[in-house]
Amino acid sequence: MESIVFGIGITALAGALATVAGAAENTESDIGSQGDPNSQVQLAPQMGYLHRIFNKAIAGEPPAWGLWIALGAGIAWAFMAMQINPILAIVLGAALATFVQGVYATTAYLGRIASLAKFGQPVFIDILKSMTTVTMAHAFVAIFAAVTVCHLMNAALGHPFPLPLLGLVWGIALGAAGSATGNPFYGKERQYQNQKYGAGVPIAASGNIVRYAEAGERNSLDNGWFSARLGGPASGVCFGLIVFLELWRTVLFEQIGAGWGAIIIGIIIILVFTVIDRYIEVWARKNFGAYVKPTEEAS
Amino acid sequence: MSAIAAKPAAGAAMDMTSTLIGIIILLILIAATYFVAGSGLAFMALIGVIVGGILIGFGVHFVPVGGAPAAMGQAPGIATGVAMLAAGAGLAGLFGGAWAAELGLVVATITGAIGGGLLMAVTCMFVNFIYVFGMGIPSASGKVDKDPITGDTQKEFKSQGTEGHGLPFVSYVGGVIGGIFGGGGGTLIYLMLLDLYKVELPGMMNALPGQVLPIAITLAGIFAIGIFLVNAVLAAYNITGTIEGPHDPKFKRFPRAIVACAIASALCGMVAIMIVAV
Repeated sequence: MESIVFGIGITALAGALATVAGAAENTESDIGSQGDPNSQVQLAPQMGYLHRIFNKAIAGEPPAWGLWIALGAGIAWAFMAMQINPILAIVLGAALATFVQGVYATTAYLGRIASLAKFGQPVFIDILKSMTTVTMAHAFVAIFAAVTVCHLMNAALGHPFPLPLLGLVWGIALGAAGSATGNPFYGKERQYQNQKYGAGVPIAASGNIVRYAEAGERNSLDNGWFSARLGGPASGVCFGLIVFLELWRTVLFEQIGAGWGAIIIGIIIILVFTVIDRYIEVWARKNFGAYVKPTEEAS
Repeated sequence: MSAIAAKPAAGAAMDMTSTLIGIIILLILIAATYFVAGSGLAFMALIGVIVGGILIGFGVHFVPVGGAPAAMGQAPGIATGVAMLAAGAGLAGLFGGAWAAELGLVVATITGAIGGGLLMAVTCMFVNFIYVFGMGIPSASGKVDKDPITGDTQKEFKSQGTEGHGLPFVSYVGGVIGGIFGGGGGTLIYLMLLDLYKVELPGMMNALPGQVLPIAITLAGIFAIGIFLVNAVLAAYNITGTIEGPHDPKFKRFPRAIVACAIASALCGMVAIMIVAV
């Protein structure tokens, strides 16, 4: 009984940490335009819209996060093998992985923006100085939280995978969940704030991203602020639920029916989410109604 | 024949010459493993790896992926890359399956499959959550007039100048099925290689089974992740960019991916087996 209570406590802590990791990951990714919306940041100067948006997308979000978290976990694992306290080891591992992320972000920004020189897009050194450190700070939070989740799975819950391998697995899963949930909110809702609310961006408008803020030109810190309102927390809850439910069904129900208990609970959870998804879909169709062409511009 | 004169290969048609050559390569790889490693555990591991690879390649075709256009609400699906999303789901499944490894092949593989499905169920639900409550956009398919499962009409909900947006119910179901296939396939590869390494490594390294277990688990885990990515990327090339799910015409291309994934898995599996069985 005690071990089950302990397991549930660890599961809850891992879920909470994963939520923080997911929220920080998405905000970091949106400040750096790491996800799919980077295509518009790259396209804009080619269409004549010069901007001051940070763009460090030279790899997809999942592999980049797989690298950073596996790196943080690997370094932490090595420090732990040297008998260093696990918390200190994870902090050191996350800090060193964050420096790698910083080098990556710097070279990626310079490379991507310099490639747009023929379209007249300048490289802004002040953007490089102010954005890189902010993405690094968010990356540290996400890497620290994710490596701690992996350490809890390995040391407290007894998962057989070593820490670096868990880092790779959950890093890729974190990037996948974060990019799936957060990308549309940044891509459509922020970059195309000038388009009508409640409709997709017409393909003809591609590249015409919003470049001006309340005062002066918009930069990626403004985008981070916007993402932190919904895209970041939603990505966090998404990843937190994935980690929590996966651990919860295993810790509590794997002992029932020689493993079949966890399988049946997993199927029930999938069905519950299917019902919620269908409810959201039907709710939107009823409340928003069919698409209506905008008429104001014509009059 | 120049590239311009070549027929576009966008349809579901199989090039029979290439398929036959592929099947011959596959048989050669299987036969080579049989002659070198015998008909025991190593051969069974290769068959398991090939089956796992085929499951992954097939499963990737179900996952609704919209890529960059989906991030702007210009196309339906999830706004990320095909291979990456499938990898996220499959590896989360592998995590669960590896944990249940001692409960036997069937239970562990199904646990892995459900783990992959669970990640996709939560993620796909949140995609619709963001589209509806964050952006005020109902889902609409651009490939079919009616959702094949619910019968909901799609056309009138589609925004002007886009190919659709969000995740219609059939795409959601496709995502979960894709996660289930990916998680199951990845776990199957891991379990088959783990069984082989647990038997072969103690003799090879002259150590006790308990001492080599962490090495066996790590090695099998790394190979499972590697082979997973090989198959996911191969299937992504077959899809070329975006797919809405099982109702998308591109889904019919899956036989090509099955042949390609079987060959690639056989080659990767042979390497994974040869490091201990020769």
